[in-house]
Amino acid sequence: MRYQNHLTLPNDVQEVPQLNAFVDEVCEAAGLDMSTTMKINLAIEEAVVNVMNYAYPNGKGDVDIDAQINDEHLKFVISDSGTPFDPTVKAEVDTTLSAEQRSIGGLGIHLIRQIMDTINYERVDNKNLLTLSKNITKK
Amino acid sequence: MKTTFKEEEKNFVMYFEGRLDTAASAEVEKSMAPLYECSGHDIVLDCTALEYISSSGLRLFLGLLKAAKPKGSHVYLRNMNEDLRQVFAMTGFINLFEFI
Repeated sequence: MRYQNHLTLPNDVQEVPQLNAFVDEVCEAAGLDMSTTMKINLAIEEAVVNVMNYAYPNGKGDVDIDAQINDEHLKFVISDSGTPFDPTVKAEVDTTLSAEQRSIGGLGIHLIRQIMDTINYERVDNKNLLTLSKNITKK
Repeated sequence: MKTTFKEEEKNFVMYFEGRLDTAASAEVEKSMAPLYECSGHDIVLDCTALEYISSSGLRLFLGLLKAAKPKGSHVYLRNMNEDLRQVFAMTGFINLFEFI
């Protein structure tokens, strides 16, 4: 492990700019270029906003974001103690449909799948743990 | 995030500046309301200074397109940078909009 960092946010989407600043900092520590950093920001925002919007239907709650970098991977673990929810089982969106047929549902998890290399969901000790990792080995 | 609405040669043009993330999307949705009165006008979404868009922003663009198409209005995305184009490509939205 050569780097780790942590952020806790309340379930309020107005906190997203703080999340973006955190992800920028992590990606800079990983030595990623601006283009990759923007896409990772997008994947993490989608995952965290999903928790903010759906994990706590009855009120307030926190979402934790742990970032780790080793020589091969950049890994984010997003956790909450809200309603059990596995975003990885969401059906794949059909990106070939026309505008009339397209709906916005499922776009977030689709973007996460496109951007990150592995996605893993676990329910542990009454928490949702979503692990997103990106291979950062120089080609 | 800042948006500016202008009428330019019969086109309805909206300039987007900054980050269209989930936090910004509610405010941007309100500012886009005049674009929905587009009968007889084409719409240009100027993305020259747009730095970022997440699915909440994509939802706003798609909603506008769905409203504009039946009125016979085109929705053009102008000057979008390569990184954001890649986001549109990942979602298939690149096939829905006209890029100029």
